[in-house]
Formats: sequence, structure tokens, C-alpha cells
Amino acid sequence: MEKIREEIKEIVRQALASKEVDLILAWEKGQLWYDSYPAFFTEEQGVDSLVWDQFCVNNLSKYLLDDGMAGQKVGILVKGCDTLAFNQLVQDNRIIRDNVVLYGLPCSGMIDPAKVRREGLDRGLIKIKKTGDQLIFVNKEQQIKVLPTQVYYDKCLTCHYPNPVIYDRLIGEKVANETLATHAGRFSAVEELEELSTKDRFAYWDQQFSKCIRCLACRNICPACSCEQCTFDDSELEILGKAKENSEDKFFHLIRAYHVAGRCVDCGECSRVCPQGIPLEKLNRKLIKDINELYGEYQAGLDPSIKGPLVTYQLEDTDTFTAGERGRKQK
Amino acid sequence: MKKIAKDRLSLLWPRIALNYQLFLPIAEEKVVNFSRWEEGAEVDLATLKTANSPKDIIFPQTETYLNFKQEGKRLELEMAGGRKDYLVFGVSPCDVASINLLDKVFLDEPVDQFYQEGRQKGVIIARACLNPAETCFCSSFKINPALAPAGADIATWDLGDSLLWEAQSEKGKELTADFDDLLEEVSREEQERLEQVKTGIADQLKDLPLVNLDPDLIEGGLNEIFASEIWEHLYRRCLGCAMCTYVCPTCHCYDLKDYDGNKCGERFRCWDSCMFSDFTMMAHGNPRTTQKERVRQRFMHKLVYYPNNYQAYACVGCGRCTEKCPVSLDMVKVIKKLGGERNEL
Repeated sequence: MEKIREEIKEIVRQALASKEVDLILAWEKGQLWYDSYPAFFTEEQGVDSLVWDQFCVNNLSKYLLDDGMAGQKVGILVKGCDTLAFNQLVQDNRIIRDNVVLYGLPCSGMIDPAKVRREGLDRGLIKIKKTGDQLIFVNKEQQIKVLPTQVYYDKCLTCHYPNPVIYDRLIGEKVANETLATHAGRFSAVEELEELSTKDRFAYWDQQFSKCIRCLACRNICPACSCEQCTFDDSELEILGKAKENSEDKFFHLIRAYHVAGRCVDCGECSRVCPQGIPLEKLNRKLIKDINELYGEYQAGLDPSIKGPLVTYQLEDTDTFTAGERGRKQK
Repeated sequence: MKKIAKDRLSLLWPRIALNYQLFLPIAEEKVVNFSRWEEGAEVDLATLKTANSPKDIIFPQTETYLNFKQEGKRLELEMAGGRKDYLVFGVSPCDVASINLLDKVFLDEPVDQFYQEGRQKGVIIARACLNPAETCFCSSFKINPALAPAGADIATWDLGDSLLWEAQSEKGKELTADFDDLLEEVSREEQERLEQVKTGIADQLKDLPLVNLDPDLIEGGLNEIFASEIWEHLYRRCLGCAMCTYVCPTCHCYDLKDYDGNKCGERFRCWDSCMFSDFTMMAHGNPRTTQKERVRQRFMHKLVYYPNNYQAYACVGCGRCTEKCPVSLDMVKVIKKLGGERNEL
């Protein structure tokens, strides 16, 4: 990654100098080892601080919706998962494809700082090296070899799109997609929940949602949550209050899940940012799984020219809407 | 000074729970938060930085003011309140300091009666922070993680097999007497070990990556900082969520609302966040119309407005925003951008 970091910087500098773009969305390094955060580059001179490392987890596509982007030609660095989100925003008519230059970055996975801390690898950490299929955590005293699967984000372990699915320019070489088997396994946690009785499943989600502090980080980071004004923010409608109330916590998460159904690209950002560890990906993946089973395999954001199954209508559609017996599969 | 053997803590919890609602750091699927203790709970005294601060126990996220009911022309009002006695065990020094900051706001005239009642009915037992994390910068706000600030009723130190225990207030002394049968006297050797632990903490502090942060070095008055160019660069990545404000132990803004059930209802207050677009919404609209102004408000409040009113910063360096903000727009970066950092020697 260090090798192509310099290449990225050079490309970004040239793009800004030549006015190919007015602005580039990328990442910058903060004060701590894991701290790579979204940054906006407008001048060549500032590009020195740009970073590309195994902590550039933030999906930058949603920033394309910002008011300040209007009328500008914007460049953006995108990983595989980020391109799915980008395509979905194009499909939702929220951004115009031709106003954006996509610099694609193959990605073999991002490191979860929480897992690093849990493994005790953060103490005195100087740097993390990657050699072959191993990561080496270097601290003052020793070098500790770790398998990426021990410290990568869960979402990266089931990733099916390590390479950008759309780009104007690819930087670096495509990585092999070794995750096909685990990708299929992304529904295993959903299947476990499906095995539960309705009562137990309700109890499970009731307990999970009770942890919610209603900070709305899951909604605000979500590329499928792209409404100009969220109905939950309309204080005159009073659809959702600010009170921490169990029924409202559930209401918020369930409504949001249904609203992003068919458009959720499974980027996993909602789960990543939740400060309380609510497994929101299980909720979204349940809907993805149902859509796959009811309408055939579908990956949101893969191809914006294909309309999603929940927004298409065919005259020969024979679904009676009741055949599923309240959503339950008929045996 | 007293001590309690760790293996006797399982006897202490049910004893406390007889007379108090007991809150302890409890692990639930890898996330540790202060929760109501019940038999069998997974108490985690090793994790020092809980995901949330214990703020929501003292200043609940949602709190009912009054219930109302209309019958014909008669409107019946019933005051809520009536908090039960509670005890929070294991509060870090930074979080104790944050309670003192909340006190300045809510116990200042006009006194907030709900908050006052909550404070009077609560007992705070602190635990020294033996392992400050890399995201910690409490020493920048003159908090010593080896000691419990005034405000804690009892201070504790974890010596591995036992917890050293020292009452710091009248409430703390009474409680210590109540549990006398579970507590033991501390030996000279243990006193010495405590001193070593304290020195160890001080040594660790020196090596922390954020140790050079010093808000006192921030130059300029309210107007200069308000007009600073840094906000223009900083705010752009802000998502406008409320994570920083809700995990923050010192953020204390709230909203007042009614649940309207037509003929009956409830008036409540709940946490609000200056990051939200409808924060301080008035009839004419919102005085802060862009995210830039909202971000600036949050940090101005902590570093300028609050200090102007109460002669203290409204940050305790707990580092929760530093660890949790989804886009790393945290207190550390703001203080640094404003020049609040000592040059490394």
C-alpha cells in the first residue's frame, strides 16, 4: 500500500494542477495509528498529508451529496465497497455520474482498531507491515505476526468486491478475490436468527435496539440514506421524537431498514460506526437474503442500469402479496 | 484506608443492591457500559473506558417532568420525579470530574430540581485509572488518573487481588461503616504497593501520544476563535450525527417535549445535540443553519463559552469522541488546530 500511496499522491496532485477536477475526496492521517479519516483536497500543496493505508475504511461516496459539491467536478478515491455505494447513489438519481472522476483502489481489507485493541496489539505499536498473507505488528520490543482474518473488520471478511466495480482510473493492481466462499457465509448469522421462534427473535432485537442511544450515526453514514430531508428530522411531522424510548428505538431501526431495502449495498458502515455494537448488518442482510430468495440474486450498486427488484413492476407479476403468509415461507 | 478482596465483591454487590439501584460496568457482547447489576451479570472492572460515560445515570437521556390529564374543563397535573437511591461503582477519575462540571450548570441558580434530586440520591464510587488508553488526555485538563477527584464518595484502587478503598465524603464514610464486615485493614506493604501503582500511572502518562495537548496554550479571545479559519476546514467531514455529544460525559444540552395523547400526556426532557439540524429550532428557524456553525458551537461551548462562565473547560479528556467519531472529528484535532499543543522537547 505504501508503494502505491506515492503514486496516488502524484495522480491527485496532477489532477488538481491540471484542473481535471476542482476537488478530491480522499483520506488523511490523524494523531493515532488507526486514525485515517475523510479529507477534502483542493490544492496540490496540501496533498502531502494524503494517506492510503489499511485504516481508510470510510466510504467517501456520500460526501458527493454535500451542498458544496454542486457545480464542481469532483474526484474521489474509491474501494470496491465504495463503488457499490457510488453506483447506488447514481441509480437513486442523487448524483450525476459524469460530474465525478473515480480513482479506483483495489483493497484486500481494512483493519478494525477494536479487534487490534482486544488482541492487545495496540500497546506501544509503532507500525504495521504487510508481507505476503500476514500482517506484522511492530512495537518497541517485538514483531508479532498476525493473520489478517484476526484483525480485519467483519465486513471485510465476507467482502465479495475487493476491486472497484466502476472507475475511470485504476491505481495499483487488482487483488484476487479469495472471499467467494466466505461471501456466501455472510448470511449464516441471519440463518441462526431465522431458526429462532418469533418470540425469541423479537426478544433478541428488543434487547439489541434497547442499547441504541439514537445518535443517528448509522443513518448519517449510510449511502442508501440519501434523502434530502429525512422524515425523522422533520420536527413538525413528529414521526420520531428524540426521547430514548424502547418502542421508538425499534421503530427507527425497522423503518430505516425497510427504507434502504433493495438499495442497501451491504457496505457495513452502519455496524462499524455504531458505538453500542448493535449488529445492524444482520437486519439489512435479512432483507437482502429475502430479496435474493423472492426475486433472484441481486446486488445493489453493481450495475446502475439494472433496476432493483423492489422498484420494478411487471404485468405478469403473479405475486399476490399474501402468498407468503405474512412474510413466512410456506412449507 | 481499607480494602476488599476481589473474591468478596460478589458478596458486596447483592449487599449494595438491597438499598440502592446498583450500576456497574457490565460487558454485553464486547461492549462495556454502566448497567443495572443483577445476579449473574458479567461485571467488568478491567475495562476503564466504557462505551458511554455514566452520565445517563445522573442525567438520564429521557426524564419525565410531569404527567397531565384532561377531564372536561379540568386539567390535572402530576409531578414526576421521586428518584430511588442509586450507587455507581467504578467511575473513572475523568468521569467523576465530568460530574463536577455538570454540577456547575445544573446546581447553579436557578437550581435544576430533577438533577439536584438525582445527585442527592446518588453515591459515586470511583476507581483509579491504572491503564490510561492512547486516546486519553485527562492530564491536559489537570486530572490525575491515579486519584479520585472530589465529588467521588469513595475512591478505589485495583491492586490485582484486592481493591483498596478510601472514603472521601460523609456518604462514603457511612457506607464504609455499613460494609465493615466485608472490608479489611490495609497493610503497610499494600500502602507501598499503592504508591508504586501511582508512580506507574504517572510514568505511563508521560508516554501517552496525546500528552502534549494543552488547551491553556490556545490564543485569542472569543471573537478571534469564533472567526478562526479552522472551522471551515474541520467541519466538512462532519456527518451531523450526535455520537460525540451522546458519548461525551460533559455535553448536557437537552430538549423539552410533550407526548401528546390527546386527553392525556407527558412532559419530558431528553438529551439533544448541537450537531442536529433542528437543535434550538425556534419559530423563525434555526440560528445555526450550516454544519460549520454547529461544529463550531460544540467546540466553542467546551473551550470558550463554558470556561467564560465557570472558569473550567467543559472537557475532561476521556477520549471517547477521539475513539468513536466515525470521521475522526474530535476534540484533540480542534485543540491542536487552535494551537493548544506543547512542542515536544
